[in-house]
Amino acid sequence: MERDAIAAFSVLKMTEILINATLIGILVAIPLSFLSYFVVMRKMTFAGVGIAHASFGGIALGFLLGYESFIFPLVFCVLSSLFIGFLYKKGGFSEDSVIDVVFVFSMAFGIFILSLSNGYSGNVLGLLFGDILSVNKSYIVPVLIVFFLSMLFVSYFFSHLNLITYNEDLARINGVRVDLLYYLFWIVLSILIVFSIRLIGIVLVNAFLVLPTLIGLNVSKNFKGVIGVGILSSIVSVAGGVAISYYVNTPTGATIVLLFFALWMLSFLFKI
Amino acid sequence: MNIIEAKNITLIRDNKKVLEDVSFDVGKGEFVAIIGPNGAGKTTLVKIMTGLLKPSRGEIKISGVEPDNFISKRRGAVGYLPQKAIVNWNMPLKVLDVVLIEKLSPFSFFRKYSKEDVERAEYWLEVFGIKGKMNTYIKDLSGGEQQRVSLARCMFNEPEILILDEPNTAVDAVYNVKIYETLRKLCDNRDITVIMVTHDIGAVTMYVDKVMCLNIKLHCHSSPSTIDYSDMLKKVYGENVNMVIHGERCDSCVFGAKNDRNTY
Repeated sequence: MERDAIAAFSVLKMTEILINATLIGILVAIPLSFLSYFVVMRKMTFAGVGIAHASFGGIALGFLLGYESFIFPLVFCVLSSLFIGFLYKKGGFSEDSVIDVVFVFSMAFGIFILSLSNGYSGNVLGLLFGDILSVNKSYIVPVLIVFFLSMLFVSYFFSHLNLITYNEDLARINGVRVDLLYYLFWIVLSILIVFSIRLIGIVLVNAFLVLPTLIGLNVSKNFKGVIGVGILSSIVSVAGGVAISYYVNTPTGATIVLLFFALWMLSFLFKI
Repeated sequence: MNIIEAKNITLIRDNKKVLEDVSFDVGKGEFVAIIGPNGAGKTTLVKIMTGLLKPSRGEIKISGVEPDNFISKRRGAVGYLPQKAIVNWNMPLKVLDVVLIEKLSPFSFFRKYSKEDVERAEYWLEVFGIKGKMNTYIKDLSGGEQQRVSLARCMFNEPEILILDEPNTAVDAVYNVKIYETLRKLCDNRDITVIMVTHDIGAVTMYVDKVMCLNIKLHCHSSPSTIDYSDMLKKVYGENVNMVIHGERCDSCVFGAKNDRNTY
């Protein structure tokens, strides 16, 4: 009797974890699919890699201070993205080279800090490749807020971002505050990446930034179609990836990315 | 009446003069060509005219105010065509999307274009002979077709001033003539001021009111008929350049009668 109750409780708990992970995954994947369109069109796909790895330093610092929260990686990612943006705009360096520097610095800083955390045996693999168990209920409200704010940003400024992507000078002449939107874009991207990391991991999070648009571009020639297909493929990858990882007992992040990759391969059959 | 007045514009970048003491004026409804070799400062000058760059010294006014003030107060009054190479032609956009790309409105992703906007876009696409490709994706167009789409985009807001940075890049000779003819008619019939950077130093002379010969300094700024070309070319290009001056309109170069509209 007691054993049955424990088993039932475990099933309920697991179901709750799966629902939370799927919900949170979808809530970050939808705005990321929108941003993915601009990231791919502006050829800044390496940005996601840099920002995601920047979070490692923040997470490590959180461990050292004994305070596990999304605040540390969030601050690290936002500051890193602003630093990347500033050096690119004002320093005359290419985006890729600056991202590379931030990437290696953050990883080195994270490893250095973790080595100082005596007795730390935390789940580094979980950080790097995602851990479904780390996505708990307390994440839902912040993710919901992030979802609404990022969707508000990207849909309100869609025509502005589209014009900037087409030609920055033209956007300036039309009164678009190109630099401000550029930094806001990086901040929104950073926040979404931080909230994706727990589920999918630092190493794999860039899949959310590249694959939606690559799949969309295979299936549709029109920007609305590209984004729509990207959103759909993200939702299928997250929901399917979480479900498969549960039944096959595989790491969730890797399963989501493999499913995403499979959809990309499949999309070549529909290539226009 | 002058619409643009520039006095002693100098721009210094990395301790090097990109433009030096450039003074000129442009009258309303005039068609002006800016010619000069690579690195002469032509694009820099048009960027100063559009407020994208500030001169280190000197001043420039459009209708009595600085370019960025003019542009921010009268949105759509300046149509700008940037160099083809810096435009992202790989975006999944149709020709119609590009003509309407300067219509900035919140939540546009979830909206359809209005009937009036589509009709206006169609009109300007027809003027530049590319209406038939309205639903074609821009990356599937030839370079010349892309430039004609850009010209239609520039005209969508029906601006007072058109600033065109090499609009004839990748455009074949026949369409070049059509574009010059169209721009000439826009000046004559709509009183639009056109400033065009071009390397087509021969053919352009028969369509424009003034030629500005630039090579960091402005070497001439006058009507094409009053320019001493051999002297100017030597000064601006630094060596002898062969040039065919077109003295009268070449009827055989002009498009067929059905495309030859009198008013735009």
